[in-house]
Amino acid sequence: MKDQEKEVEKVFIGGLHEELVADKVISEDQLVPDFPDQIRKYGGKDVMTCLQCGNCTGVCPISLKIDYKTRNIIKCCQFGLKKYTLGTNWVCATCYRCYEHCPADLNPAEVMIALRHIAVREGIIPPFIKTVATNVVKFGQSVKPDAGNDKIRRELGLGPTQSQDPEYHSVIREIQVLVHASKYDKLIGIQDEVKV
Amino acid sequence: MSGYVYFFGCVIPNRYPGVEYAVRWVTGKQGFNLDIKDNREFACCPTPGVFYSTDKDTWLLLASRNLVLAQNERREILTVCNGCLASLKKATEYLQDPKNMGKVNRVLAQIGKKYTGIPVKTEGKRKLFEPVKVRHYVEVMANDIGFDAIAKRTTHPLKNIKVAVHYGCHYLRPTEHAAFDDPNDPVMIDKIVEACGATSVDYDDKLDCCGAGGGVRSHVVELANALTEDKCKNIAAAGADCIVTGCPFCELQFDNAQKEFSKEGIPVMHVSQLQALAMGIDPISLGFDTHHVSAHSLLRKIRGS
Repeated sequence: MKDQEKEVEKVFIGGLHEELVADKVISEDQLVPDFPDQIRKYGGKDVMTCLQCGNCTGVCPISLKIDYKTRNIIKCCQFGLKKYTLGTNWVCATCYRCYEHCPADLNPAEVMIALRHIAVREGIIPPFIKTVATNVVKFGQSVKPDAGNDKIRRELGLGPTQSQDPEYHSVIREIQVLVHASKYDKLIGIQDEVKV
Repeated sequence: MSGYVYFFGCVIPNRYPGVEYAVRWVTGKQGFNLDIKDNREFACCPTPGVFYSTDKDTWLLLASRNLVLAQNERREILTVCNGCLASLKKATEYLQDPKNMGKVNRVLAQIGKKYTGIPVKTEGKRKLFEPVKVRHYVEVMANDIGFDAIAKRTTHPLKNIKVAVHYGCHYLRPTEHAAFDDPNDPVMIDKIVEACGATSVDYDDKLDCCGAGGGVRSHVVELANALTEDKCKNIAAAGADCIVTGCPFCELQFDNAQKEFSKEGIPVMHVSQLQALAMGIDPISLGFDTHHVSAHSLLRKIRGS
């Protein structure tokens, strides 16, 4: 694996365990005491209610494939070990199985989503976020229109997709106004694509 | 509220036009003749893996814009995708909170839109509203049309075809969204399959994730494919002729991932495509040549039966 890919893996794919082991001792200045509050701010429930039973890891389909342990991430959230949690949760498939099996009704999937909110605000943004968001502000759709697909649509008698209507410009404009109003363009760095 | 409005989302029109054709055909004049129309101003739901994951405010604004369009038409949204269902349905729940609704409407005013919900009745001077209804295609088929009606319209029963049904996560979970089917023992797609004359085969870990959701496919495709491989092994072990799903993103994942780990692959289709086949459509209209896994042998088997 190329170095760059390794770096991506460390930042975005379950680098938690490895880093924790490498650091051995965690100094106090790494702790962010209000971290659970930050998680709550972005819609996660109180991570302090976690019982550390491990059901979430047990039912997580991702944990079968890579070193990704939901319970460990929640534990780090409890301690305020922000540094170890932010790059690790982009592999969550949001299948919500952990939510269904959580006896503390914590909804770990929503905690992962809150962690993504925090990560993005710290500049940890996987490339696909920008790609998809750019598609949405340019075409109104998350998937890029495709000439081959247009041909098949014609053959089936379906006509072009709505995003190719001349009137769809007003829809794109509306989307850009909304994205700009919530400052999302600035947040993820797609200002150049938003023209309002 | 009367009738529905199509919400095809992004994947179907841009990647699987055959699914769009099938849904229009099954719900249209040739099929169940629903009171349903298009709205060409809809945009991305928006996709939960990106917008709901990174900024809930933006997600809610973009989702509300779509909901307002349906509200102004006084129609129920008929989604054909689990992701669209999850995103839009969750948004209607957020908008039940007057604080969220106020915040959203202050911004929507900039584009001349306002979410109120659909007016149902007036009590004195007070108008009462109900949230815009967001329905899944499968659920509309099951509840509004019914399995008996589907069976009655099956002119070309798919005898001898073994189907592995894949529901997809956001059809089932979080459970409060999926209250229309049993999240632990869902039956609706299986019953549609049986109504089409095919056999739904059980397989291990049927309710597991395809691997694509939450941005995993876009982010680390190998990881998504590894999960799909597990599923496909179980499906192959059950001897299924094809995979049928209610979600175009799961369909895309099964269809694309299989070329990475198997030569032949198991054909995959949306439940609407299966229905259209059972109702006697010419398969050429279902766009199977856009699929990566060839459906030729499956179609031959269907014609032979």
